[in-house]
Amino acid sequence: MTPHFFLLGGLLSVERLSWIQECLKFFFVKLNPENLLHHTKPPRDAVFVFLLTGDALYSLQNPQTLPLWEVILSMPSVKIICDLKELELRGISIGRLKMKNPEQVIDQNSLALNGQPSFWKDVMKYARQHEQPVPSTVGYLQMESPYMNQSSHAALQFLAAGVEAHASVDLYTYLDGIHLGHTGQNPSECTNIGSSLEGLYDKALKKGLACQMLACGRCSAARGYSTWDDGQGVVISTCTIKPVKIRNLQEIIGQFGRSHIILAKNSASIKFKKEGKTSSLPLRETGRTPPVTIFVTDRPYGTEDAFGAVSFAVSCAYEGIKTRVIFIEEGVYTLMGEHKLEKGAHFFNLQEVVDAVAGSENLQLFAFQPSLSQRGIIKNKKLNGVLNIGIPELGQLLFYPPNGGLANHQRVIFF
Amino acid sequence: MTDTPAEVSDFSNLTCTNLMIRLKILLKKAPPHSTVDCIVRRDQRDTIDVPFSKTGYDVRIRKIDANRYRVSLKKKEQGLFP
Repeated sequence: MTPHFFLLGGLLSVERLSWIQECLKFFFVKLNPENLLHHTKPPRDAVFVFLLTGDALYSLQNPQTLPLWEVILSMPSVKIICDLKELELRGISIGRLKMKNPEQVIDQNSLALNGQPSFWKDVMKYARQHEQPVPSTVGYLQMESPYMNQSSHAALQFLAAGVEAHASVDLYTYLDGIHLGHTGQNPSECTNIGSSLEGLYDKALKKGLACQMLACGRCSAARGYSTWDDGQGVVISTCTIKPVKIRNLQEIIGQFGRSHIILAKNSASIKFKKEGKTSSLPLRETGRTPPVTIFVTDRPYGTEDAFGAVSFAVSCAYEGIKTRVIFIEEGVYTLMGEHKLEKGAHFFNLQEVVDAVAGSENLQLFAFQPSLSQRGIIKNKKLNGVLNIGIPELGQLLFYPPNGGLANHQRVIFF
Repeated sequence: MTDTPAEVSDFSNLTCTNLMIRLKILLKKAPPHSTVDCIVRRDQRDTIDVPFSKTGYDVRIRKIDANRYRVSLKKKEQGLFP
């Protein structure tokens, strides 16, 4: 059975791990109690797999988050796969957790073709399981810039593992992620992301695999990449590497209409077991497009993340993808009070955006009440198109397909 | 929300997604029976036409220049009879 899996590369807060833990409890107690009845020893096939890399690994040692992992591991069929190289790099010790749960906490990664352990080869095992036809495709959505953020290396390694596993690969760059495609990168102390992407592109083509690298047109224009635009959708840049194509967001979202796995720095793939059927075609099929759930976890205005998330969700919904936006953690500040924007300001009032798009076809908006309560704030009453939810509703949103959907899995992306 | 061409908002530099968002905000704020007007590009025109027509708006589009279109959106009146 293909498990539900989370790929987590960012810092895992107590708050985030707590609601993930509560959702898992909801899954096992309310939706799948039979798993609890047969829970005598860890079965070979995990139901939930957590793939941890980067800063997420600190949560395995942090005394505030470690007890939460212990609760999660006490549930049946949960497995954690750690990125060994990243554990070693950070000097993180998971000995205690591994001793208690030897079959569930894995810190030995599969060997890549170069004979080195590769966490990303393990990720690929899960990322490719949803796909039936060969060659399959895997995609990665990158939203952070290179060098400042290690996630760009993760994106690169994910795609390289895909090519090594004979999968076609897609890279979608959004927000600051578009900087991955800048020409002339010349880092002295790091892997050159730009030339590595060019090398990966060539390698994929030599293997007869497709390799798309698409950069969001709005984000590219804002950052000075779109140096020529014919006004009819053709944008040419003199400062992007050859494999990267600047396309409008709608076109990038169009790729989400296919059923391949798309991951991001913090993301998940939730399998639908009954209603969902595996697509037999790699191309888009009506009703089988995986729904998208977007967690807005960051405060508005300070960064582009919250607006980027809502804009991304609106695009998904417009493309006919069932889309749910959940304001959670710091993201609930988007809904607090009444935002006032200076008249004539060249920006969006996010509350106006939320209010305007609420009720759009294929789009549902939710506020996670525990996050509001934890911060002692309440939702602006005018935002009545955003429904307050707790753990049971969040669990249902994660583990049940939206009405009428035949997709075999759901894409979950944290912004 | 005016008939004076000089005051019509020019949204031709917006992406299709942000144009949709901007129009939805303006329509939400617009007084009853009023029209929201804007200038858009050809590809934006195509983005606006079907979704707004399907969701209860009268959409009028007039070409004013090469790759420039004036779009007028108005909430459809609810008649007594279907």
